[in-house]
Amino acid sequence: MISNTTIIQSVLSGLLEGGNYALYSLGLAFVFGIMQIINMAHGEFLVLGGYIAYWLLVKWGVNPLMALPVAALLAGGTSFLSYRIFIERIRTTVELNTLVLTFGIGIFLSNLYLQLWSADIRNISVNWMEDPVHLGGIYISLGEIVTFVISFAAVLFLHLFLRRTKTGKAIRITAIDRDAAALSGINVERVDLLAFSIGGALAGLGGPLLGMLSFVSPNTGLHITVKAFILTVLAGVGSIPGLIVAGMILGVGEALTVTFVSSSYRELFGFTLFLVILLARPSGLFGKRG
Amino acid sequence: MKLGNFFQITEKTAAFLTFGFVLILPVILSFNPYYLSVFIIALILGGVSLSWNLLAGVCGQVSFGHAAFFGIGAYGSSLLVLKAGWNPFGAMIIAAFFGVIGAIIIGTPAFRLRGPYFALSILGFAEVVKLLTLNLTWLTDGSQGLFNIPALPAIRIGGTTLEFFISRTTNYYLAAFLMLAIYLVIYFLNHSNTGLAMSAVQGDEETAAGIGVPVFRTKLLTLMVSAFCTALMGAFYAHYVHFLSPDSAFDGSWSVMPIVASLFGGMGTLIGPSIGALVITGLDEFVFKHFFETGHKLFFGILLAVVIVWTPKGLFGKSIRKK
Repeated sequence: MISNTTIIQSVLSGLLEGGNYALYSLGLAFVFGIMQIINMAHGEFLVLGGYIAYWLLVKWGVNPLMALPVAALLAGGTSFLSYRIFIERIRTTVELNTLVLTFGIGIFLSNLYLQLWSADIRNISVNWMEDPVHLGGIYISLGEIVTFVISFAAVLFLHLFLRRTKTGKAIRITAIDRDAAALSGINVERVDLLAFSIGGALAGLGGPLLGMLSFVSPNTGLHITVKAFILTVLAGVGSIPGLIVAGMILGVGEALTVTFVSSSYRELFGFTLFLVILLARPSGLFGKRG
Repeated sequence: MKLGNFFQITEKTAAFLTFGFVLILPVILSFNPYYLSVFIIALILGGVSLSWNLLAGVCGQVSFGHAAFFGIGAYGSSLLVLKAGWNPFGAMIIAAFFGVIGAIIIGTPAFRLRGPYFALSILGFAEVVKLLTLNLTWLTDGSQGLFNIPALPAIRIGGTTLEFFISRTTNYYLAAFLMLAIYLVIYFLNHSNTGLAMSAVQGDEETAAGIGVPVFRTKLLTLMVSAFCTALMGAFYAHYVHFLSPDSAFDGSWSVMPIVASLFGGMGTLIGPSIGALVITGLDEFVFKHFFETGHKLFFGILLAVVIVWTPKGLFGKSIRKK
């Protein structure tokens, strides 16, 4: 018999994990919402961030939280280069092209990681992560709380950046009407480049967190891309805050699947949910009905 | 691509040349078992690439998860033979229909939407099918995999016996025959009314719908044919290698390599993907693996990106006129 405490415990862990899912998906959702490009290399940018934090910790003992800006910067830089060298040239052709192109970039990166760092899984382990925090009879690890706060802050930050700053507004206008934006003096090519690079940097930010909570490996990337897409669809394309709620639904669903069924079927929950959403409400939970 | 302007052949001629080359290749390789085994895999990949391109090049729907159908075919046929005692030839055909069932399961929800939804749904589908194969241990033996998958039974034609257990040569020619059969199916389908509907869907879905093309049905039908052919190749693979694990049967390579082969060989042609498959398998085995032992597939990432950006018609796309 599964006790109530166990259920509450797994729901709470699921909620916290869900916040992280929102960050893992943020870059992909943002780029898709703004540029209508699905970045198939999204997961590889994220994994890159994870590897960077891992090596900084192993080689120089750098606290993974300090590694966050480095991870974001390098993943953002990789993303910037990918856009300048390849994507820019076919930005205006059919959607299928960017999809296959970014997929190719992803294959390149994941095999590069495999060549450089082997297929071994890398966990970023820090002692304080496991410190328990007691809430009544329930226990959560400090790591779960810290990563959740970081994820939540990142989503909030992006949301405010898009709503409040001039650059953010320029990005949003370009997404709504490219031609009108260009006419009103916005350099839309620059906006594209910026948006894609921000997408990469946000992915890079998620990498160290993923490495701390579980692990990164060359195979992790594609898996993250799929999960990010599922969450983007669940939240509704273009809804950044919706990602948090969608992430939590997925997180809790997975946690309860582990508690009631088996940990082997954890991933099945998200995909089933995805198919149901596609059939029942393709515009997502918070998207505009089209 | 100035070459393309000087040197132009029709689709039919290109197909004759390709299959002519495939026919005499073993002679050129003087039936060396190692080289034959490399090109058997190339032919299997060729068949999968032709099927992938029917969906992407003809109907405009990119799939990132054809490994799902390949694995379903491989496991389906092996299980029918191992657990139900079927004849492998019959099992291969039925396993190909399992692929069709998979196509219906994923195509029905995913084709309701346009854009990247299908491409990513099928990627998720491939992950889920692999996950189920790993966990339904009572059926699939899980991560341990399936051993001793019987070879195809010997065929007697007149006085000669073709056996598949040891001979690489017979396996090579059966793989070539399967690739040819898939090509013919695709060729005639493309030249039928359904083929016209597929091209219309690829061109512009809304216009296609406007002139009365059943868009959803056309896409689903194309996926079903593509899945059937891919699963058939997967089933052949299982009886050829005699061993399957979830990792080998659902290996991401079976999703990635058909894309590279098709782009490389020319998505706008029907035969191009099989040429691409022969070339890239050769490149991978004899060139790339010598540079990077573990990460050699990174070259395919570069190849994809370079082809898409600089020669979107593929290396042979301009030389082969599609008729």
